[in-house]
Amino acid sequence: MPPKQTKGEYIETDTGNKVSRKSVILGSQNIILGGKTIIQADCTIRGDLRRTVAPGQQSGNVAIAVGRYCFLSRSSVLRPPGKIARGIYSYYPMKIGDHVFVGEGSVVEAALIGSYVHISKDCVIGKFTIIKDCVRIEEGTVIAPNSVIPSFSVVSGRPGVVVAELPETAVEGLERA
Amino acid sequence: MPPKRAPAPEIKPPVDFSPSLVLADSATLTGTHRIRIGANTVVHPRCKLNSTLGPITIGRSCIISERTQLVAPDAQGLAIGDGVVVEVNALVEAREVGEGSTVEVGHCKLAPLTRVADGEVLEDYTVLYGAGERRIDKSGQEGARRKLLEMHVESLRVLIPSNASKWMS
Repeated sequence: MPPKQTKGEYIETDTGNKVSRKSVILGSQNIILGGKTIIQADCTIRGDLRRTVAPGQQSGNVAIAVGRYCFLSRSSVLRPPGKIARGIYSYYPMKIGDHVFVGEGSVVEAALIGSYVHISKDCVIGKFTIIKDCVRIEEGTVIAPNSVIPSFSVVSGRPGVVVAELPETAVEGLERA
Repeated sequence: MPPKRAPAPEIKPPVDFSPSLVLADSATLTGTHRIRIGANTVVHPRCKLNSTLGPITIGRSCIISERTQLVAPDAQGLAIGDGVVVEVNALVEAREVGEGSTVEVGHCKLAPLTRVADGEVLEDYTVLYGAGERRIDKSGQEGARRKLLEMHVESLRVLIPSNASKWMS
């Protein structure tokens, strides 16, 4: 992070991302923020858990890619998921779309999150979960690992199940300035 | 939420570390009792170990994730067995966590966000999930889990720079 002397709570990057000084960002060289994304205090992003490859092979450097206009609340955790494949344990990159909201204290270990996804407070999104576009995850939901959540669903409970559908106009409600 | 980042603890607890331990730089150890950590264990950044009330003993090949808090509940201390995985955001104030357990947020598995009451004893192979439901899982996957864990530790060894010497005085 560039050493700026202005003492505000947030550091603003060239693309308009606002990152709290009190957030915990590890392996920032492996993290891509699309722009206009806000990261609040105490938010943890584990960019250091990147793909492990056999020596000599070229490794993709992105561990976490976040789209535009995302909001990561206080104490949320973004952590790439890991598993064994071809005989080695490796972490896999996590992709997050645009206009994604992650509530306070939520732990996200998803493989893919689409655009216009609202994750409420204290949720746990299991490893390798795929969440499609325009989904609402209610407060305190625990989504089992390897789940796939279809578009326009409302997910709630432990384990998280689809309890309702969102109207097609929901995109406007999930879009924030 | 503390207004300021906590200052570095002035009193370092006495430690007993294995040389093959991976202890991230920003993990914090506080308290006055001894903290023992076994071989091949990985402690992620921002993990908090508090030995104010008693000693903490962590076994071999454990993974302690970030934002977890391990607190010794009393003078008898906290003992964590071999091959235990403590996932993100977990708070462990137990007296003993048996071998091969997984605490997700002895062969026990606690699903994310579940709570175990004070003084409760969980049998081997118990799975705790949902709103306090539990079942016994004896599908015999210990070998496979152990192997996965060892590979996981190996990959983390590459990814996380260790700075255990900071706590050795």
